[in-house]
Amino acid sequence: MARHGGPGSGASLSARVASGARWLFLTAYLVAVVFPMCWVFYTSAKTTQQIYKSPFGLPKVVTSPSRANAEPLVRNYRKAWTGSHFGQYFVNSLIVVSVSLVGVVLLGSMAAYVLARFEFRGRNVAYSLFLCGLLIPMQLVLIPLFFQFSDMGEGLTRLLGPPARALGLGNLTISLHDSHAGLILIYIAFSLAFTVFTLTSFFRTLPGELREAAMIDGAGEYRIFFSVMMPLGKPGIVTIAIFNFLGLWNEYLFGLVFLSSDKLKTLPLGLASISMQAQYKSDFGLLFAALVISMAPTILVYIILQEKLTRGITVGALKG
Amino acid sequence: MKNRGQNVFIATFLGPPLLLYAVFVLLPAVNAFRYSLTRWDGLGPATWVGLANFRAIVASGSEFLPAIGHNLFLTFVPGVGILSLALFFAYSIHQRIRGGRLYRVAFFFPNVISGVAVALLWVLIYSTSDVGLLNGLLKLMGHKQPIPFTESGRLLWAIVPMSIWSATGFFMVLFLAAMENIPETYYEAAKLDGASSAVQFRTITLPLMWDVLTTGIVFLVVGGLKFFDAIYVMENGRPSGSTHTMSTLMYSKVFQEYNVGYGTAISVMLFLLVLAATAASLRLMRRERLEY
Repeated sequence: MARHGGPGSGASLSARVASGARWLFLTAYLVAVVFPMCWVFYTSAKTTQQIYKSPFGLPKVVTSPSRANAEPLVRNYRKAWTGSHFGQYFVNSLIVVSVSLVGVVLLGSMAAYVLARFEFRGRNVAYSLFLCGLLIPMQLVLIPLFFQFSDMGEGLTRLLGPPARALGLGNLTISLHDSHAGLILIYIAFSLAFTVFTLTSFFRTLPGELREAAMIDGAGEYRIFFSVMMPLGKPGIVTIAIFNFLGLWNEYLFGLVFLSSDKLKTLPLGLASISMQAQYKSDFGLLFAALVISMAPTILVYIILQEKLTRGITVGALKG
Repeated sequence: MKNRGQNVFIATFLGPPLLLYAVFVLLPAVNAFRYSLTRWDGLGPATWVGLANFRAIVASGSEFLPAIGHNLFLTFVPGVGILSLALFFAYSIHQRIRGGRLYRVAFFFPNVISGVAVALLWVLIYSTSDVGLLNGLLKLMGHKQPIPFTESGRLLWAIVPMSIWSATGFFMVLFLAAMENIPETYYEAAKLDGASSAVQFRTITLPLMWDVLTTGIVFLVVGGLKFFDAIYVMENGRPSGSTHTMSTLMYSKVFQEYNVGYGTAISVMLFLLVLAATAASLRLMRRERLEY
């Protein structure tokens, strides 16, 4: 029984040292991951002077909670929320991301359902076109889309202008540049490839008998989709919605190119512009508060839905 | 009659998404190739120049070649760290160490934060003023002068720990899933033969998760080729020749220098590199696939 790695005392000692070293390493990494985050959160409750004086120390509101000591926290967030327009950016992100999310989930599951469940001419072509999108980086479509947008805006204006005037709506000019509508259309279109790809394989796994049973009951195709297939597909749809939410909430490059007025900016754009402007470089209290406002929503979603999110990665990886 | 109704259904369900996708993704993607063959300032008429833009970006002394170099640096230097840490963490958690769930949930955390927020967080960590976490630690250890970690000459190295910090958790979750999928019986057989944990990892775990490992490498390389946010933000929107990546160079050529054809040629090259990296790894995957 003198096998290698057997129950000899030497092996068990070295095994114990190894597992101790591993525990130490994992814990050190845990601190390295979690501490910077905690640091951002608690530093946002300090004045810039306090930050300068003791950069790592806890804020007074934590060490001795009182109304007066909560003052810097309130001031930092108020300054970020109203003075630096983070309230506006937050609302903009909320509008752009929620409308895009509804659009991509609805259109994506419609396309995926048809591609997964029906035989028709051109199905493979349509599916392959969506598949191509998985390989297209946003950088490739960015520039032509930017210039194409001017033409599309003009075209729409020419198309819809006369009837609008005839209806007495005045002069109508449609521009997709620097508008939430334009960015939403891009976000939906660009998220479709991944969404359709994932949901198609998901809809394929659903039992077909349910559709037949619903048909015998006299339900039409539309009814079947909205009241049988969508509810059945909920687990897949929720996962894909979380992925799209994280991706779109954090998206920067499209927003940078397509939005220019400050009042339309989303959170990543607002955060990038205050971090690049010299005038804010010394107001650390404000900077930390802005960072917290930007990070909080995705962190919250992660805390609530982390099981679903990590399971989604799992399923996607093992299938793909 | 019924068949016609079904065709209408298919058309109304597939039509709108396909149209939107074609107009906003496929059409501009095709147009990019056309743009890349012209010289254009974005306003006046465009001039057809054939492959001149491509010749210019690969000519010696162009900014494009160093930019690719920076992309490769930002892919492979953090990449080695990310993959080895992710494998190590996943394997440790897979072996049911105490607190495994806590590690899994916590390590994934930075992945949900936007690239811009991560960049700003690390700007603050690296700051040379008193707020800087890292320079503060160095001062406690007796180092007097603060080190300007994020100045152009050092920036690429400063991004390495940042990338590892933000990406490792994702790959850990990916690899852990693959490991949990390996039948337990293989390990039991190996244990009976007295194989150590390290030997089991090398002879069972790694070969049987090869596909997922390759998928992970594709994600890593494609992400590295597209790198934009952190460089752009940390360089205040004006990266220099020593920090430009393909994406930031493309952006500044088109939107700051109005050299649309040249910038689009860069994006076409980026696309071709993404395609090549994906194709190469798919081949690798097929050749090495193990059935179990």
